Amino acid sequence: MRQTIHPGETRLALYAGGDLGFWEKHRVRSHVSRCSQCRTEVRAFHSVEEAWTDQPAVTPLDANFARLAQEMTGNIRVGLAAGECIAGFEKTVAKPRPFHHAALALIAVSLIVCATLWLNLPRRQMDHLMSALGQVQDRVRPAAPVPDVVVIEASPSSIQVKTNNHALSLLHPQSGGGTVSMNTQDSAAVRYVDADSGQVTINKVYYAQ
Amino acid sequence: MRSRLAVAFLAGILLTAGWLSAGILPKIDLPKDSPVAVLSSDYGDSSESARGGAMLLELHAALSLRNSSQRRIRGITMVVTAQDVTPGGKGSVTVTSLDVGPGDTFPMRIDLRLLRPLQPGAGIPVLLGLDGVLFDDLGFYGPDKLNSRRTLTLCEWEARRDRLYFKGLLASGGQERLQNEILASMSRETDRPNLDVQMSRGGRSTNFEPEKQVQFAFLRLPDSPIDPLEGMARIAGNEARAPRLEVRNRSDRTVRYMEIGWILQDRQGREFLAGSVPAQIQLAPGQKSQILSDTSLKFPQRPGQTLSIESMTGFVSNVEFSDGSLWIPNRADLADPRLKRIVGPSAEEQRLVQLYRRKGLKGLVEELKKF
Repeated sequence: MRQTIHPGETRLALYAGGDLGFWEKHRVRSHVSRCSQCRTEVRAFHSVEEAWTDQPAVTPLDANFARLAQEMTGNIRVGLAAGECIAGFEKTVAKPRPFHHAALALIAVSLIVCATLWLNLPRRQMDHLMSALGQVQDRVRPAAPVPDVVVIEASPSSIQVKTNNHALSLLHPQSGGGTVSMNTQDSAAVRYVDADSGQVTINKVYYAQ
Repeated sequence: MRSRLAVAFLAGILLTAGWLSAGILPKIDLPKDSPVAVLSSDYGDSSESARGGAMLLELHAALSLRNSSQRRIRGITMVVTAQDVTPGGKGSVTVTSLDVGPGDTFPMRIDLRLLRPLQPGAGIPVLLGLDGVLFDDLGFYGPDKLNSRRTLTLCEWEARRDRLYFKGLLASGGQERLQNEILASMSRETDRPNLDVQMSRGGRSTNFEPEKQVQFAFLRLPDSPIDPLEGMARIAGNEARAPRLEVRNRSDRTVRYMEIGWILQDRQGREFLAGSVPAQIQLAPGQKSQILSDTSLKFPQRPGQTLSIESMTGFVSNVEFSDGSLWIPNRADLADPRLKRIVGPSAEEQRLVQLYRRKGLKGLVEELKKF
C-alpha cells in the first residue's frame, strides 16, 4: 500500500503566499492538486490573507505596536515548537531520495557516451560492433542446427582434419624436417624422408568430397 | 544414466587390460587384381585409451608390400578413412621415388591418431585402401579418387628432372660440384621457414584486425604455359583468404589443371610459401579464366612471434594439359633466388640428400648411375 507524503505546514503556508522556489512550488502544487486535505489548508491560508487585506483599517489607533510585536514573536515561537512536537505523529515528512538523482545522472551520462561513440566510432569498428550485436541477438533466438566446421591443420610434425570433437591426424616419426604444403582446394600435406628406409613419404588429409 | 556410467566404466577396464585391442586393428581392403599385395603387417606400438571424455587411438602400422605386377613400381598411394571419426575428412599416405621390381617387396609406414568422443563398445573402423600405383612407364592402376595419378606423376617428373640435373653436375663438374650442390640444398632446407597453418572453408576473417584487399605480384617463369594476369586476396593480420586470380593460357594446348604457388611476405620482410591455389579448368589456347577459392589460411602465432601479412607473390608451379602431360618449372626457373629460398626441394632431391647423409658421396653417385 502506498503511503501519501504531505508537505509540511510551513511549506504550505509559503506556497499559499507565493514564496516558494520554482521546483518546490511545482512539487507542492502537484501534491495540492491531488490532496484535498492540503488543499483545504492552503485555502485556509488564503482566506486569512484575504481577511487581512480586506480590513486594513480595523487596527485601533492607540495600539501598542511594540507589545503586539513581542506577542506575535512569542506566538510564532510557541507555534513552531508545537509543530515540531507533533510533526512525527500528524504527517510523514518527505525524505530525500538520493537514489533517484543518481539514477537520472547515470542515464544522462550513458546517453552522452553512447551518442559520442556513435558519432566518433570509425566505420569499420562500427561494423564490427553491429556484427557483434547481431550475433548476440542471434544467440538469444532459438538455436538453429549448425553444421560442423571442418578444419585442416598442418605443422611440420603432423597434419590433421578435425570437426568439433573428432580428429584424424597423420603423424611422421621425425620431429621437424617435414615440408608442409597446403592445397587451397581440398588438402594439406607433409612430406618427409623416412630415416630408416630412405623412402619419401607424403601424408595428406582432405576435406570430404 | 547409471547404466551408461557402468558400461563406460566396464569399457575403461577392458581397454586398460587391452582386451579390446583386436577391435582397433585397421581393415586393409585391396582390389583382387591389385598390383601390390600385403605380405605382413605389424601394429607394434598401437594403443587405444580413454583420455578424459574422449577415446584416443594411436595406430602405428608397418606394412610389408610386394609388387605382384610385371612392371616396376615408382609410387603408391593408400587411402585412410575412419568415417565414424571424421565424417568431414580422410587421409592418404603416399610413397614416391620408389624403384620396386616385379616380385620385390617394400615397406610402408602409416602412423595415425584418432580422437573421438567416448562411446563404449564401439570399435573404430579404420579402413586402408589403395588409391593408386604408378609404374615406371607412367602407367597407372587404381580408382584415383584422391587424384593420386596426378600427384605421383608430378613427383616422377620432378624426380627425372632432378636426377638429370645432378647427373649433369657430376658430368660437368665432377663429384666436388655435386657435393657442393647437395650441401647447398641441405643448408637451404635448414634455413627455410616452416610455419603451422590452419585451413577452413568459407566464413569471414576471425581476426579483429581490419581486413584489406591486397594485390598479387607475380614471379613470371619464362617458359610457363600459363600467364598470370592479375589477382588479389583478403588479408587480416595473420590470415589470408579468398584468393582470386585471372590467368591466360599462352600455350598451344588445352590446359585442364594448374596450380599457382602462393608466397606471403610479412611486415618484417620474411617470406614463406603459404600453399598453392589449384584450379580444374578447361582452358583452350589463348583463353583467359578466373580462379576463385573460398578458403581461408591462418598462421597461428607462436609465443614471442608475431606475423602480419603485408604482401603476396604468385607463380605458376605446375600445369596439366588435356592429354595428361605435365609442365613443371625447370631447374633454371627454380634457380631464381626467391624461389630457391622459399620453395622446398622436390621429393627426389630430399631423397638424394638423405642418401648422401646416410651413405656419403659414393652412395649418391652409385644411386644416380642406376637411372
